[in-house]
Amino acid sequence: MSRFRSRRDFLRDLGMSAAALPFVCNLPSLGFAGTGLRKQRMVVVFSPNGIIPKNFWPDEEGAEFTLKEILTPLQEFQDRTLVLKGVCDKVRGDGDNHMRGMGCLLTGIELFPGNIQGGSDTPAGWASGLSIDQEIRAYLQNSPETRTRFGSLEFGVVVPDRADTWTRMVYAGPNKPIAPIDDPYQMFNKLYGQMKDQESLRSVLDAIRDDLRRVEPLVSAEDRQLLEEHATFVRQMEEELRTDATPDVGHAVPELEPGLREENDNIPKLCKMQIDLMVNSFTADFARLATLQITNSVGEPKMRWIGIEEGHHTLSHEPDSNDEAVDKLTRINKWYCEQVAYLVKRLAETPEPGGPGSLLDNTLVVWTNELGQGNSHTLNNIPFVLVGNGLDFTMGRSLHLPMVAHNRLLMSFAHGFGHRIDRFGNPDFCKRGPLSELI
Amino acid sequence: MTHRRTAPPFLAAFGFVLTALTAVVGRGEDVVDPPLGAALYQEHCASCHGEQGEGVADAYADPLIGDRSLEELSRYIDEKMPQGEPEVLDAEQSALIAEHIHEAFYSPTAQFRNKPARIELSRLTVRQYRQALADLIASFVGPGDWGDDRGLRAEYHASRNPRGRRNSVIQRIDPQVRFDFGEATPDAELIPSNEEYSARWTGSVIAPDDGEYEFVVETENGMRLFVNNPDVPLIDASVKSGDGREFQAVLPLLGGRAYYLQLELIKSKPEKTASMTLKWKRPGHALETIPQRSLWPQTPPERLVIATPFPPDDRSVGYERGTMISREWDEATTHAALEAADWIATRRLRLADTREDAEDRNAKLRAFALRFVERAFRRPLEEPLHATFVDRHFDEAPDEETAIKRVVLLALKSPRFLYRELGHADNDPWSVASRLSFALWDSLPDGPLLEAAARDELRTAEQVRAQADRMVQDHRAQAKFHEFCRQWLRIDHFGDLAKDESAHPGFTPELRSDLRTSLELGLDAVYGSEASDFRELLTGTALFLNGRLAAYYGVDLPEDADFQRVEIPNEPRRGVMSHPYLLSGFAYHGSSSPIHRGVFLSRSLLGRTLKQPPVAVAPLAPDLHADLTTRERVILQTSPDMCQSCHTMINGLGFSLENFDAVGRYREVEKSQPIDASGEYFSRTGDLVRFSDVRELAEFLAGSEDATEAFVRQMFHFQVKQAIRAYGESALPDLQRSFVADGFHIRRLMASIAAEAALRPGTAASADPAQARLEP
Repeated sequence: MSRFRSRRDFLRDLGMSAAALPFVCNLPSLGFAGTGLRKQRMVVVFSPNGIIPKNFWPDEEGAEFTLKEILTPLQEFQDRTLVLKGVCDKVRGDGDNHMRGMGCLLTGIELFPGNIQGGSDTPAGWASGLSIDQEIRAYLQNSPETRTRFGSLEFGVVVPDRADTWTRMVYAGPNKPIAPIDDPYQMFNKLYGQMKDQESLRSVLDAIRDDLRRVEPLVSAEDRQLLEEHATFVRQMEEELRTDATPDVGHAVPELEPGLREENDNIPKLCKMQIDLMVNSFTADFARLATLQITNSVGEPKMRWIGIEEGHHTLSHEPDSNDEAVDKLTRINKWYCEQVAYLVKRLAETPEPGGPGSLLDNTLVVWTNELGQGNSHTLNNIPFVLVGNGLDFTMGRSLHLPMVAHNRLLMSFAHGFGHRIDRFGNPDFCKRGPLSELI
Repeated sequence: MTHRRTAPPFLAAFGFVLTALTAVVGRGEDVVDPPLGAALYQEHCASCHGEQGEGVADAYADPLIGDRSLEELSRYIDEKMPQGEPEVLDAEQSALIAEHIHEAFYSPTAQFRNKPARIELSRLTVRQYRQALADLIASFVGPGDWGDDRGLRAEYHASRNPRGRRNSVIQRIDPQVRFDFGEATPDAELIPSNEEYSARWTGSVIAPDDGEYEFVVETENGMRLFVNNPDVPLIDASVKSGDGREFQAVLPLLGGRAYYLQLELIKSKPEKTASMTLKWKRPGHALETIPQRSLWPQTPPERLVIATPFPPDDRSVGYERGTMISREWDEATTHAALEAADWIATRRLRLADTREDAEDRNAKLRAFALRFVERAFRRPLEEPLHATFVDRHFDEAPDEETAIKRVVLLALKSPRFLYRELGHADNDPWSVASRLSFALWDSLPDGPLLEAAARDELRTAEQVRAQADRMVQDHRAQAKFHEFCRQWLRIDHFGDLAKDESAHPGFTPELRSDLRTSLELGLDAVYGSEASDFRELLTGTALFLNGRLAAYYGVDLPEDADFQRVEIPNEPRRGVMSHPYLLSGFAYHGSSSPIHRGVFLSRSLLGRTLKQPPVAVAPLAPDLHADLTTRERVILQTSPDMCQSCHTMINGLGFSLENFDAVGRYREVEKSQPIDASGEYFSRTGDLVRFSDVRELAEFLAGSEDATEAFVRQMFHFQVKQAIRAYGESALPDLQRSFVADGFHIRRLMASIAAEAALRPGTAASADPAQARLEP
């Protein structure tokens, strides 16, 4: 484990003074204007516990298809949507299907043996490799043209306060899970804390100066030199703060509803706040990759706001013959889809800063899940719904793929960014390379 | 035995060059005629400019000071002086006069040299800044003291949940965490199944020094470690994953404090065995299992330890002081204030003792903010300033969190927090309280001291002394003594002490780390003892040894013995100067170094001033003089006249430790020749002292006025961080006398110094401090 490092350490390492803290990295990438490279982005949205296949998968294949009930919130964007049926998580080894579904979803590689015991199967630990978003992040951060302040941002919504294989989807490397930030205020501080610090510094500057003046008579004439020297430093800080007084943030800083607790009934509000923060961070070009993890694998949100009292995971074990459960699970998944649709809508409405079109023209949203279906715990037909034009896939289609390993889809994401890797995760599942069907 | 006789400097023994010695003894008994320039000045200039260029009222009143170069000054005098009759002095005479006055009082360096010492306005040193902030928070949540019991509270559970209440089957105190349960369980009866169980150790870890601590946990099982912060684990490996079995993290801590510690072990089915070891790497030490003496079974509240790096303090005068500021320092105070503001704002409800839904939350937060500012400033805040420092922020900031941040930011950027002795002429009780606590703890006054100040009970010497006597019992005073020793004994200059492997096999990093522990335990034992006798530091015959050290230094102890006080038989070992850690530190890779040892004895123990060597000299390589002993080689190397002015003293002292080799082991023979450990020293009063080895050296030092004065002066400077001369001519002799009268009691000396400095104002401030003090 490495030593805790604050964001101020980071800035100090960059050689920046306290007062000049601010917006170093939020300007449009230098390369953008110069080279005409577009700012490609990808967002992975996760919701748990599988879907109801008959209300999810379009019957048709190709460009002409009808969205089923769960996917209807995406109607407006159907021509920019790609529904991928037939993608399977083929990774086996330690851990139950929820664990592997979650831990291997973006990594495509086995879990280490460990001490986390699931419902059955052998216990397991963390994934033994990094996740695809972090792979792409490293690729983008490696080049000055595509480097951003954070590279990637990991959002969460009501993720339980415990670290285990069911609560972590993103990995920086083997045994290195990254905890999603599910507190919007914490995320706000990560994104805009420096600006608040600056504001606070600015607000106390006059008082510091007055105070120095006020204490001067307390000291002898000889000692006054030291205080005068001190006053020059305060003036320098003032200068720096004035220089940065009206920085071009590139967008309005979002206002968060204060004091919202991270609890079940606030999920809709928290979700919206996180999505708004994400869209804002794209406008400021803080990052090119983002994940939004709604609850966790085996998550138990109780969606009272749509009239469902039972927890999602408990319901997901009900057999297909339980019509009431099927109905509720359909509504639950439709609600998740509405969150995806809200994100897509925000991206579509927000102009691309410094370029033509909207954010959605340069962003691919991937909505996925750790299971194909909750009651069978299958890792076949993992839901992958892609929206947006970030990666030049041919959108507006429904594809039935021949039960391909999801590693190949993960590779396609990397290739979409120009990062032409020939394997990702377990190489056994990478044969035949990225999915040519997507182009 | 010691030979004492009054010896004029020109009778130095061994035929050492004589004139040189006066330079060391240095009290300028020069009987040479005054230089020509001075005589000319007296003859032609002094009547108008004064004997020392101070000016003459009716003639030329301004002092003769300036920044012209010597050449400019010569030309000026030649052309213009004496006024009206410049032809009296020719160019050569003018140059001589210029040279004299430039050196004596005119130039900026001469002005500086001639300035009387004064108590200078000082900012907090880096250590004081960190300590003050930690104690400021502690004043709201509880102190960092600890009791005498040692070890950690342990709870063992017959389930995987180390926090569960129901399955806690064993409660006991474990001296340290170093267990290998193998395939068994901690207790075959109470935890019959080895499939799943857990354990939790709770208490605190006591940090002896300031610095970065690396914590290392070794286990094949799941585990979590909390240090200082009880809510966020420092290491979270509760998910066992893969084969990793060593986990580490680094944390900065301040010495003299106990920090919350909790360690959880989770044994799960897939793991066949279980084990757990909790180690640390203290600053300057090797990795070791955290010893029982550093663990305490109670839990203290979380502390604020500022991690922001600061530029190091000025130590050019031999002790850290805060009389200079720089842009880097100012920026560091901004970063640190932001860091503290974040920390405090996050914990504001707990600090203000309120809840989110409490009706009086806002009032409580304001009250907390006011108390915070007052404690930071070490004095009550007058009513009109409440708005500036507290209320304005609550009225203007968008929310309470931001308001608290701004209050903290302003308070910690204010000169009232950052400077130690604003208005130092003033003996008001708040200033006295602050001087006391910084001198003893490098930190803010505590509750009882502030109460005494509020009752105006810090007026008399007795009242101040009573407080100092109370405060010196605190662990923070001991921590300050610790820091003092690091400077006094030059420990920070030692590096890693690695030695020639072939000549000194087995002198491993672990052994060196143990040696340092041994020295620290020895210093602590003397400091903390009833007598707290400084002379014991110089004459003590015992060492603290553990099994490993005992084996290396030829003492009979069990291999796994913990540190204990051991009398060393058959060896003339006396005092800190013969502690193997110092002997190894003041030595070369493969041989002892009488010069390093002599310089240490001269400067640190006897307080003598040594000039820099006149030329850069590389030590003579031992193999070029294979038949010479170290002593002979050093005599050969330092025989030139220009060396002798200092090396008469250096060698004479350093040779007395020749019975100890480069790793501090006792020896009687070097290169087949018996060791000659005889030495000698000319005291400041001109006495020549001879010693046959370290035993007589120790006896001499313990009775030497030079050594006593050196200790008192260095202790004063370290505690007060001002020149002792600024406290009047008699400050040093007075303290020295009371130190001797007190039986050389170290803790009482520290209290005396703090009390002395607290009630002795320096040069007066211009304005009436009572008026100016807190005027808005």
